[in-house]
Amino acid sequence: MIRLEGLAVRVGEFDLRDISFEVPAGGYGLIIGPTGSGKTTLLEAVAGHNPVRAGRIRLHDEDVTDLPPERRGIGFVYQRYYLFPQLSVRENIRYGLARGPLGMGAQQERVAELADLLSISDLLDRGISGLSGGETQRVALARALAPRPSILLLDEPFAAVDPTTRHMLRRELRALHEREHITTLQVTHDFDEALRLGDLVAVLADGRIAQQGRPDEVFRYPNSAFVARFIGTGTVLSGTVKRLTASDHAPFAAHFTSGPLTFEVIAEREGPAHAVLRSEDLLLSREVQPTSARNHFPAVVRQVERLGPLTYVHLDAGRLLTAAVTSASCEALGIAQGVHIVVTVKATAIHLV
Amino acid sequence: MTEQLSPGTVPRHGLRLPWARLGLAALGAVLVLFVVGPLLRLLFLATPQGLADGFRDPELQASIALTVAAASVATMLAVVFGLPLAYLLARRRFRGRRLVQALIELPVVIPHPVAGIALLLFLGRRSAVGGALADIGLEVVSHAPGIVAAMLFVSAPILVSGAREAFAGVDPRLERVARTLGDTPWLAFRRVTLPLAGRGILAGAILAWARSVSEFGAIVILTYNPKVASILIYDRFTTQGLPAAVPAALVLLLVALAVFGLVRWLQPEEPR
Repeated sequence: MIRLEGLAVRVGEFDLRDISFEVPAGGYGLIIGPTGSGKTTLLEAVAGHNPVRAGRIRLHDEDVTDLPPERRGIGFVYQRYYLFPQLSVRENIRYGLARGPLGMGAQQERVAELADLLSISDLLDRGISGLSGGETQRVALARALAPRPSILLLDEPFAAVDPTTRHMLRRELRALHEREHITTLQVTHDFDEALRLGDLVAVLADGRIAQQGRPDEVFRYPNSAFVARFIGTGTVLSGTVKRLTASDHAPFAAHFTSGPLTFEVIAEREGPAHAVLRSEDLLLSREVQPTSARNHFPAVVRQVERLGPLTYVHLDAGRLLTAAVTSASCEALGIAQGVHIVVTVKATAIHLV
Repeated sequence: MTEQLSPGTVPRHGLRLPWARLGLAALGAVLVLFVVGPLLRLLFLATPQGLADGFRDPELQASIALTVAAASVATMLAVVFGLPLAYLLARRRFRGRRLVQALIELPVVIPHPVAGIALLLFLGRRSAVGGALADIGLEVVSHAPGIVAAMLFVSAPILVSGAREAFAGVDPRLERVARTLGDTPWLAFRRVTLPLAGRGILAGAILAWARSVSEFGAIVILTYNPKVASILIYDRFTTQGLPAAVPAALVLLLVALAVFGLVRWLQPEEPR
């Protein structure tokens, strides 16, 4: 278990405040945030490299806030891996075992076991120069896991490898995590990674946690325009909510107006707000469809972005919107730049923050 | 044309005019010849017989032994006191860091006789420090410790800046990784930083040693006798003339060339 309680850390220009987050034992937590939001600083604080100004860090119920890094029982993998250049692959992996209780034979056994697990057995006697990005990453992971840490901290571990390797490594890491039951905390700027890997995610913004929860929950129900924009939930519009009924009870039916666009929405409060329109909730058709959905409006296709089976259609409806449709229905509708089209969205699909 | 440019290189097509290229080469050649010429002229005087005589000369032997020993002691002192300072300067951001760095580099710009006079005033018997040292039996001025003091003064900056650069070249995150793998700060330093900075530190130490061996200006004021090699050469030149000074000069030149070769071999290759 990793528990951060009201943590405050300041290193150089980074000022993290009031960070509270918990990854249960054996869980996989992610902290995501834009570049420069202090993610690495936070991870280094958990590892004991950065002094804590306030709050406590507990690892498996032990308060480690005042312990040095070597006594926290953690493994750490940096984005740039930092293999020891003067040592071979084998010596890199064995580094954390060399001064432990294991005899030489047991150390070599552990190295061989990890090398096998990460498919790097034939690299063991090589130097580290000339390793590919993916190989370097595996060696760094094996080195961190060798002393059997109970906590694994990962700093953007897939940022420096090509997309194919990234997908493979992600799957392997997830499998490794399930096998070794090691409590993991990873930082990333990629929400996709959170959706694929994490049990829990915290979004870091301006040195604070803006939102935390299960990745799919955060994705579906971002609690602020910042989070919605950062994780790419869809289009974020700023506007005003106005009540339609006389009833005092929330939620109530309301109008959300943003420039020339007005939607029917289900709201909890009146006044200025942001509406999040998820790309996959915008339905496109050539004519107004007889559905129960209340919101129909015309739009012009500005740009079509095909990404395999899914196509992103960028629309101008007085406000810029993005819809995601299957490439097949995109063909069927004859969607192309300049085409006039009808957009339909259900009132319940519009998320107000 | 897709030519890879590294910083500091001029694109080849920038100098297409043959005359311009020739002119630059000619100017450069003048300076190279000016540096190499005198050294070659001296080396051409070396005959096996002359060198053998030089190495057999007991006064020259004693003088070279004294020079090497004093330079080695000065370098060791510079390492003992300079390495921790170099590490601090490379790794920590503390108040006055720039000031300390400037102070330690000061000897580089001070004329060496001036350094000698300053050391004489500081370490002479009538000064507080010199007096205290004399009381515990350590005579500095006009004794071997004076040579060591002068050498340390002029060579310490070379060692400290060399070691500082070597330490700065080791990413502190390598140490952090070592810490999470169970190393105490000292172990991380010994197992990661020191091996990686080692070559640079050794190169700095050898340069400092070579600087000590070639020192003249400060030593001549602090300790004329016993004579280090550079002073012996000067002494023979002024009292007996050029032919008497040449064998000693040759021997010292060969020692310097050997050290130079060693340092070039130790320094990492420049990126192309």
